[in-house]
Amino acid sequence: MAEKTIQIEIKRQSGPDAPSTWEKFEVPWKPGMNVISAMMEIAANPVNAEGQQTTPIAYDSNCLEEICGSCAMVINGKARMACSALVDKLEQPIRIQPLTKFPVVRDLAVDRSVLFENLKAVKAWVPVDGTYDLGSGPRVFPQQQEMAYPLSNCISCCCCMEVCPQFNESTGFVGAATIAQVKLFNSHPSGKVLKEERLRALAGDGGVQECGFAQNCVQACPKQLPLTEAISDVTRDVTLQVVKDFLRA
Amino acid sequence: MATAARPDASQTSSPVGRGVEPLRAGKGNSFLLRKLHSLSGIVPIGAFLIEHLLSNFEALKGPLAYAEQVKFLNSLPLVRVLEVCLIFIPLAYHALYGVYIALRGKANVIYYPWSGNWMYMMQRWTGYIAFVYILQHVIRQRFMGVSLPEHPGAAFHKVQMELSNPWMLAVYVIAMIAVCWHFSYGIWLFAAKWGITPGANARRRFGYVCALLGVVLAIMGLASIYAFVGPEYRNAPADVMPAQTHLTAPAWHGTEFLRARKLRV
Repeated sequence: MAEKTIQIEIKRQSGPDAPSTWEKFEVPWKPGMNVISAMMEIAANPVNAEGQQTTPIAYDSNCLEEICGSCAMVINGKARMACSALVDKLEQPIRIQPLTKFPVVRDLAVDRSVLFENLKAVKAWVPVDGTYDLGSGPRVFPQQQEMAYPLSNCISCCCCMEVCPQFNESTGFVGAATIAQVKLFNSHPSGKVLKEERLRALAGDGGVQECGFAQNCVQACPKQLPLTEAISDVTRDVTLQVVKDFLRA
Repeated sequence: MATAARPDASQTSSPVGRGVEPLRAGKGNSFLLRKLHSLSGIVPIGAFLIEHLLSNFEALKGPLAYAEQVKFLNSLPLVRVLEVCLIFIPLAYHALYGVYIALRGKANVIYYPWSGNWMYMMQRWTGYIAFVYILQHVIRQRFMGVSLPEHPGAAFHKVQMELSNPWMLAVYVIAMIAVCWHFSYGIWLFAAKWGITPGANARRRFGYVCALLGVVLAIMGLASIYAFVGPEYRNAPADVMPAQTHLTAPAWHGTEFLRARKLRV
């Protein structure tokens, strides 16, 4: 009896400007296999289902425990983390393609630097760098920690942006992840020194107003961030900031 | 505060240099335009929709009551100014900017068939239906045929003639449901997006309230349509207030006016 195998179809592209093609693979099954380990099997024996020699699949991955945010890809039509996509729970053939809203670098590796740019644009950090010791920071109450911790779980995987109907090249929407980080850092006792700047940044084109509240972000988020709640809260803060700025101008 | 100067954007932008553009922090006025669009859907357009549906509901009392309602509305002070400022301009803005918003969204319900995503798509489709319907409704009922501001008594007959065409009746029924859907979900979206209902439970509960409102408005609207096509007021007279030739209430005679003032003093 032949060994048990799994069927995989991968959308491949040799470079940013190369045309994309679907390539089929038949990979030996192993217990507890996930999509990344299946692609490791391909790398160990880069032969496609037709028996032709091919190249290993290029993809981003790191921690393999859904904490680094690297391996987001579209698996059977859904944006998700490949490491937590268990082969035994997936319908076959498993169809894998790169995230569709980010430029492909090669195969399944995409360029997600737009999120980094967005986080920089809203100053998603606590500004404590300096030339002398600032001493210990202000105390953070447990209630505040309870609110902030879920937001700090963001792994920058970009799934929320991939599934958002408003995140596209026409709107240039900033996406839920960045808005959630604005809520996180605006609520931080030291981070809130930049609160007004962050809110003004989010009132720019592509800001919070572009949200259509389809709520796909909160459904797709692998870390269950309260993204819609963050968008609602931050949009209120942005609106109040815009009104304040108008009246104080 | 140590906020290091941002390096040149060309150095930090994506190495591939394509895809979705990053946030234009603090630039542009789309925030104002989008918030105006959102607000205009509630006031004045939503308020007008409720007024319109309540007025239509008078049709259930018959042609005369309907005519009285049309006459009352047209006797409001500065009614033509109100009509332009509170109905035509906001409606045109909401409609045109709404189409612009809808065209820029990329619905993906096929891949992500989740309820919020369905509602996102339905809000756009009901918006398109409302857009086309309201355009023909305003042209045909406000600017064509008998002018109702001058002849409020002809209102019932005019609508009855329109709805006597079964195709038109179907259009009105579909548009009534679409508009009530669009408005009630629009209220829900307004509360969610302006930060009034940030909590998931609050949004769920308010969802029931909005759904109830939408159903009530749609039933009232459909009942009004039935008043025009049902058996009760069949073949309504062309004008139930033929003497009513102009709007303005008769001005007080000078001596009457003086007498009234004297009495009050």
